[in-house]
Amino acid sequence: MLSESTVEYAEIPLPEVEIFSNAMLSAETTEKVLNALEPIENIRQINMTGEGIPRNLNSGPGKGLPNNHSERKTITVGGREVELKYLVGAFYVELDVENEEMLDEAVGKIRSACESAMPHGFSLSVGRYSKYRKTLRDYR
Amino acid sequence: MAAYKRQFYPGTTTPAKNRRKVMDPKVKLKKLRDVSMDDVVRLMGHRNPGEEYKSIHPPIEEGKEPNCPIRKLVEPIDGAKKGDRVRYIQFTDSVYFAPISPYQRAWMYLSRYRGIDTGTLSGRQIIEVRERDLEKLAKEMIDNETFDPALTGIRGATVHGHACRLDENGLMFDAWQRYIWDKDKKEVVYVKDQVAIPIDRKISVGKPASLNDLKKRTTIFRADGVDMRDDKEVTAYGLRIHKLRTLGGYQPFNVKDV
Repeated sequence: MLSESTVEYAEIPLPEVEIFSNAMLSAETTEKVLNALEPIENIRQINMTGEGIPRNLNSGPGKGLPNNHSERKTITVGGREVELKYLVGAFYVELDVENEEMLDEAVGKIRSACESAMPHGFSLSVGRYSKYRKTLRDYR
Repeated sequence: MAAYKRQFYPGTTTPAKNRRKVMDPKVKLKKLRDVSMDDVVRLMGHRNPGEEYKSIHPPIEEGKEPNCPIRKLVEPIDGAKKGDRVRYIQFTDSVYFAPISPYQRAWMYLSRYRGIDTGTLSGRQIIEVRERDLEKLAKEMIDNETFDPALTGIRGATVHGHACRLDENGLMFDAWQRYIWDKDKKEVVYVKDQVAIPIDRKISVGKPASLNDLKKRTTIFRADGVDMRDDKEVTAYGLRIHKLRTLGGYQPFNVKDV
């Protein structure tokens, strides 16, 4: 996951939507996708995964030099600034829903938002992909 | 007894044929682009173009070589004669139908060149040679058909990306972004050398090949391309080696009926 979760664990396994992109997404597309997801109700949190882009070169003779990667930048999502440190490849959207109808409706909205924002295609599945309660690792 | 005729690789499918082709030193590989020698030197970053070669020992002709039959037998390569340093170039090959993959690079290098040391890793292939020979070899490797601008990377360190999905422009992921996509020319342009130190000019390596073209050129067997299991001879050859190794260990010649 991109960073430490800003949302508390739900303690119950709420459904998650995995949006797995066919291509690694540029910062611009990531911003578009997040902004398309932003107005959808019932979204509790969005996590992203991808390939890490270091700020500075971390090895070799150029160690310490700035990396200057064009996709490592700050994007604006719903008025909030988010620092991207990854080339994003997948989104995990946790939904705060109470029944199947609410879930289907939210998934439908997410699918159409992604279809417009991700021209290279994606696969979408519903399940539970991350932790929803504290485990031993949270008490270190 | 008839003279032994060298064989390269079994199989009848395209990747098998391509493997034979890259390994056979008699086949001249197609040249697809022309990156100038100075630019190749810049991409590797071992010396500046025009700079003298640094040496680690005096030229062989000057020094007193020990009286050794092997040294008399083996003709040294150019760089060894002059006492050049040993330098390297390293290529990363994407799993998405790159024209060649690291293991076949090793076969190809060893079959085509003398005086080299090469090492295979999952996604990359390093090759170490005396500097002036390396430069010739590197230019050949960048210019010929085993290189694709989008799917082959020239990466000395932080090579990660060969198994990642491609980005939106179809380029292999590179955490250090050594090459960028030129939107207007639709070309791949190097802006950093192989260890990501910025270079003072942009070096274009041309347009990436189409997927259809790559599927014809690749040496990679893939379930969504040509499955290795569809090539009976290749499968049988793999199984035979596996069986001999499993049953015979270091004495495969003692295993009967395989």
